[in-house]
Amino acid sequence: MATSMHLSRLRNWFLASPPIEFAISRLRELLVGAIRQGPVPQHIAFIMDGNRRFARTHGIETVEGHNLGFEALARILEVCYRSGVQVVTIYAFSIENFKRSKFEVDALMEMARVKLSQMAQHGEILDRYGAKVRVLGRLDLLRPDVLAAVNRTVEMTKNNGDRVLNICFPYTSRDEITGAIRETVSEYSKPLRSTRSSLSLQRTPFSEDHITQNIRARTNGKLDDFSTEIDSVSESSTLADDDAQRTNPHNDVYQSDTALSSVTTLHMAEKAAQNRFPETTTETERPVFKSPETITRQTLTDHLLTRDCPPLDLMIRTSGVERLSDFMLWQCHQNTEIVFLDVLWPEFDLWHFLPVMLGWQRKVSKAKKNPDAEGNFDGELQESGEESRDELVVSPEIKAKNL
Amino acid sequence: MVSKLDRELLRDNIRSRGSKLSATDRENIVKPYLPDPSELPRWPPQRRKKLPRKKPIRTFLKSQLHLITYTLLHIIFGIAVRLVQSYHAVVDRILAIVYYHHRTPELIRKDVKGLDRLPEHLSVILSLRKEDDALPILMDEVAELVSWTASAGIPVLSVYEKTGALKSCMPILHQAITNKLSSYFGSSQQPTLQLFAPHHPVYKKQQDRSSPQNSLVVLLLSATDGQETFVDLTKTLAEMSQNGKLSPEDITMELVDAEISEITTQPSQEVSPGFERSRHSFPSVKPEPDLLLVFGPSLKLDGYPPWHIRLTEMYYTGVNSDGMTGYGDTVEYQGFLRGLWHYAGAQMRFGR
Repeated sequence: MATSMHLSRLRNWFLASPPIEFAISRLRELLVGAIRQGPVPQHIAFIMDGNRRFARTHGIETVEGHNLGFEALARILEVCYRSGVQVVTIYAFSIENFKRSKFEVDALMEMARVKLSQMAQHGEILDRYGAKVRVLGRLDLLRPDVLAAVNRTVEMTKNNGDRVLNICFPYTSRDEITGAIRETVSEYSKPLRSTRSSLSLQRTPFSEDHITQNIRARTNGKLDDFSTEIDSVSESSTLADDDAQRTNPHNDVYQSDTALSSVTTLHMAEKAAQNRFPETTTETERPVFKSPETITRQTLTDHLLTRDCPPLDLMIRTSGVERLSDFMLWQCHQNTEIVFLDVLWPEFDLWHFLPVMLGWQRKVSKAKKNPDAEGNFDGELQESGEESRDELVVSPEIKAKNL
Repeated sequence: MVSKLDRELLRDNIRSRGSKLSATDRENIVKPYLPDPSELPRWPPQRRKKLPRKKPIRTFLKSQLHLITYTLLHIIFGIAVRLVQSYHAVVDRILAIVYYHHRTPELIRKDVKGLDRLPEHLSVILSLRKEDDALPILMDEVAELVSWTASAGIPVLSVYEKTGALKSCMPILHQAITNKLSSYFGSSQQPTLQLFAPHHPVYKKQQDRSSPQNSLVVLLLSATDGQETFVDLTKTLAEMSQNGKLSPEDITMELVDAEISEITTQPSQEVSPGFERSRHSFPSVKPEPDLLLVFGPSLKLDGYPPWHIRLTEMYYTGVNSDGMTGYGDTVEYQGFLRGLWHYAGAQMRFGR
């Protein structure tokens, strides 16, 4: 025990001696410069896990562990930005983390406040070298003084260069997705032309939307060649039947929501009745909304907190836990390389990061050399689906304008 | 890299709650580590004229050095990766020989018996290949997986395949799985199989439920159950909101969760009303998978439904499809078993 402690002290002394330190920093510079020569991910996300475990195993206070974690973050941010990464997103604090001990939460909040306000003091340096700092998450859950520091820093750095640091502060991905849905819905429920008096009116059935929906369902069916049975039935049936069929799955969705069920079923019945007699309603009085059919994946993505960031290329989680823990679920589920490292965050450094980067570069250049190595078939399918969808999405908008 | 001395200074400052050093002190400490202003990519043009690029030869040499280092790094890294890959390939072969299921449920059960925990809901990501007979191969893989899952005693298996090809041939798939199960279990002790996909009816053989502990739910997922589901939900909600049936404030995480979960749990056939309630009391059929197995060389979700994977453990078998192991056998029993071991936190053992 004693010898190992002496050894580690000797090692530390050796590493801290000026010539060695100089050599190491040169080596780091060289490696970072080398990474920059190849393809570099544009957007990296980190889950900084392991601060507490590091503190426990090293016999220091939890707060101290978080401080060391912050140092590791500074190190790795330097590496990232120098090697050409545009956006770094870090998971600093989950909404779930509010359940931890009050002492720790307070300490973390205090740390965030101090760091952010310190950052704000270095106006000049930040302007020259700094990245845009953005804080994503439920800011309304923060203490007022922390919130003030957050706002000040975000405000100060918003005109900085093209590097971005996203700090997910009280954040969960589910909350983010829900927020995106909510925002989209409220955006779409603002009338385009304000004919307020007729707000209570039902929407007219047999609108372009339903028809496009039907056409889309059919084209989708042909493209993806599933659910062919249903479609073949609907093709032979009349339009009214078809419409009723289409609303059925929606009905199920409505009714399952207990809080609203009694109201919605009433409305739905009304609506269904109207479906049968389309002549009864007049078109001129209803308020004009943006058609919900124009909502696409892109619409939702544009309402996420990470809306102006490039797609996530690389996601790294330390401490050997192999879950996403409610972080960037929407962003990383497409083509993101997820890497789980068995190292605690305060120990995380260039030496752990380098193999990940090299592996990523290797895969990217391999994929470039050989683009149809995997999934060429689905790629084509996906594309054609998107195209036809876009075409169909355009049409109701034009019609709405013509109205 | 910040030198040790300066690091200690900064740490001291943190411990005293940022009171020891003033802002200028900190700037002075940090200044030597900031990059040379001329190296910055986006420097305002009027300043660039004042600071002409000094030492062009040195910059050129530096970039050449970086390029050489890059190439060397990748050569060395490539060799290392190859070595690791071949090591893993050898280990895989040994494991595949040592652990083979021999189509015997008892053997599979013995393999997973010592594990501390088993997932209650296992999810796998498979991919359709490009060959002509890709679909039959895929169906065979699914059938094998179902048999192993049933033998291991995992009650729920969800299979994700991006294109949704599996969903279009559910009757044939059901037949294939039943055949495979009967080759494992014999015709008498065969577990009851419920095969379903979101927005599709359940495929289930009409037979008495003699052994409820020996039933298996198989869920088929595709890319349309991912983000597209959220798009559909948003459309519906937007429509409701436009009609004044709902205000945007009513959209909560619980609502979204309930709606999204509904799709991947049992569809509303015969079990529906009781099922919803029993889902909470029996966590055995929960929408969130416990373990996600990716049969592929890297961990990519490739469009997997995002909502339910927040606490899912992920594991990829790392089987490389480009050579050594051949092309036909990416879904292997040893990969399945390794995933389960990994989930249980166990080490792999050579020898049963």
